[in-house]
Amino acid sequence: MKKKIVGVVICSLLVFTSVFAGGKTDTKKSDEKIVLKMGDNLPDRKNGYGAVIEKINAEFTAAHPNVEIVTESYQDQPWQEKVKIYATANQLPDVLKYWSFSGMMKPLIDAGLLEKMNIQDFKSYGYMAGSLEGNVYDGNLYGIPISGDMWVIYVNKGLFDKAGVPLPKSWEDIIASVPKFRALGITPLVTNGKEGWPLCELFDNIAQRINGDFTRVDAAITRGAKYTDPDFVAAADYIQKLVKAGVFQENLSTSDYGDARNMFGQERAAMYMMGSWEMSLATDPNFSEDFQNDLDVIKFPVIQGGKGSADDVLAWFGGNYIISSTSKHPDLAYEYVKLLGKRFGELAWETQACFPAQKVTPRDSDTLVSKKLLQIAADAKSTSGTPGLDRSDSVFKEDHQELIRQLCALMITPEEFAKSLDASAARAASEK
Amino acid sequence: MTSLFSNRKVIAFLVLPGLCIMLFAIAIPLVISIGLSFTKWAGFGKIRLIGLENYLRLFADKTFWRSLYNVLMLILVTVFIQNAFAFIIASILTKLPENRSRILRTIYFIPATLSLVVVTKLWVSIFHPEYGILNKFLHFMGLSGAERAWLGDPHTALWAVIWIMIWQGFGWALLFFYGGLVTVPKELEEAATVDGANRWQTYTQVILPYIMPVLQSIIIIDIISSLKQMEMVYLSTEGGPGNTTQFIALYLYQRAFKYAEYGYGNAISVLFVIIAVAMTLLIQRLFRKSVEQI
Repeated sequence: MKKKIVGVVICSLLVFTSVFAGGKTDTKKSDEKIVLKMGDNLPDRKNGYGAVIEKINAEFTAAHPNVEIVTESYQDQPWQEKVKIYATANQLPDVLKYWSFSGMMKPLIDAGLLEKMNIQDFKSYGYMAGSLEGNVYDGNLYGIPISGDMWVIYVNKGLFDKAGVPLPKSWEDIIASVPKFRALGITPLVTNGKEGWPLCELFDNIAQRINGDFTRVDAAITRGAKYTDPDFVAAADYIQKLVKAGVFQENLSTSDYGDARNMFGQERAAMYMMGSWEMSLATDPNFSEDFQNDLDVIKFPVIQGGKGSADDVLAWFGGNYIISSTSKHPDLAYEYVKLLGKRFGELAWETQACFPAQKVTPRDSDTLVSKKLLQIAADAKSTSGTPGLDRSDSVFKEDHQELIRQLCALMITPEEFAKSLDASAARAASEK
Repeated sequence: MTSLFSNRKVIAFLVLPGLCIMLFAIAIPLVISIGLSFTKWAGFGKIRLIGLENYLRLFADKTFWRSLYNVLMLILVTVFIQNAFAFIIASILTKLPENRSRILRTIYFIPATLSLVVVTKLWVSIFHPEYGILNKFLHFMGLSGAERAWLGDPHTALWAVIWIMIWQGFGWALLFFYGGLVTVPKELEEAATVDGANRWQTYTQVILPYIMPVLQSIIIIDIISSLKQMEMVYLSTEGGPGNTTQFIALYLYQRAFKYAEYGYGNAISVLFVIIAVAMTLLIQRLFRKSVEQI
């Protein structure tokens, strides 16, 4: 009897072992369904940036038929909040778009939430000098850059002609044009004020046009200077001067990205202050052909009597792609990121979706806007690097955005703005 | 059967599921939240104990007090203005023939059935300074001076946001009052009339006391929904301009997940719970007193 029992047990063990062994082999089969979770700030998947990512996704899934890519997308700020929520729950998507700025990526790295990458794997993909390096922390690469970003002003030449106004060279030209545009019911300039950060870029850029030096912002953050110094107060004062002159849309502090973009695209506004990633306005089928024919882009204007020139460009490598260290498929995620690094630059330029972080070859068929952006980049005598709001911690960033919104809503004086911003910078510096 | 339900073990067994839900959904998260409120933490990474620092900072935080003030304004508007109108209209509806009353009740309740996102975006478009229908209407009426960025102007933003909230919440208040008023026995009203009470006296001294439990429920719901108001503000102004439309629930969320100050966000949430419980108890006590007086 005992022998029988032992025999049955051994036979059962053999059967179970073979079943589980078979199961393990099954998991290696290429037809096992794998879901790769992704997240980004590109809700429009049919045009521009988002369409390029979809093309790369299609290429990847064609090469890996067993892989399904599930992407969730939000606008910039909601996506940044979502990433913090996912990080808190330790549930970051496998691959996600984020930003390489130290204030944003370093906390994720310090918490061990990001997967390391090998910089050598990306060296041959034509990245511009400094772009990959911006993603290196403690000697390790944690992300690959996507776009080279410049702060510019898109203009509708048709509306300028209608108002009898020449394209502006200085902010004084813009102020002078306000009555002519307003008389026609046209808003002179729009931007996304609700999220605050475009106004922070404006502040950095206006400050540079006054003091002629982009490094002053970093000095204020690292406490080599103060935001209460006269040049920064003058910049805040100048921004209020623009608001009071009626340069911006009336609901500046509550107008979001889509609202501002649509006002410009629907020809209700003559200018749109935004980054070079909006070069896809020229090919966006949501807007009319007339608008696209009239679309142009200009350098951020100078301020009369200021030290900054139009060839000093607020520019940075910001957006990147990173891999979560909690990914269940790290090898697959890495393979995806390598394909992204290989294909994004070429596809982005081919479809004129954005200004990639990789070297591009100009073509005759390029849109006027992309040609102009290339020229602006070529003319640049100095560049800013990471914007001021992203050079410190997340509290400083939010304080900066909130204070600039209050400044633009004329709720605080330039002096109050400078004092509060400086206090936030001092706090952040003391906690480092 | 009776002996079964008087058995302590059976009672404990029956109470256990509810108790577990209370424990895991309310008590444990609250204890964790209280614990985290004494820390400085981004939600991930290093966690540092800082004692009462978050609470001391909270008491000096102007935005927190502003958000509390806005909640109080919303409570006052909903309790005294929205409910007053809802009560008047519900009273009129009870006097109308059923078919007409039903149509009007349906119309008044439509906003409450719409998605919160749809309602908010609808009103954001109506209030838009450039192409919003409100400014266009004012312009058409020759009142161009009154045109403004309703949600972007610090002087009007809070009231514009509150308007959106009560526009959607009105249907619920009306439904509650209507439900309460139709339960008032006709004999009571007739007796009051026979006793010489006029319409005002009938309503204030007979009908209103009769539906006091309904009123109490409405006010408690108003207070709770005002305290947890977040989505509508997030979708319309995100608390701006300059925190003029900031509400506690949104501020808590922003501190925890925008500013990555998870510890501070938890300190706000603890105070938030204390305020909500205190307000509910206060209302219950006030109503108990008024019922006892009646």
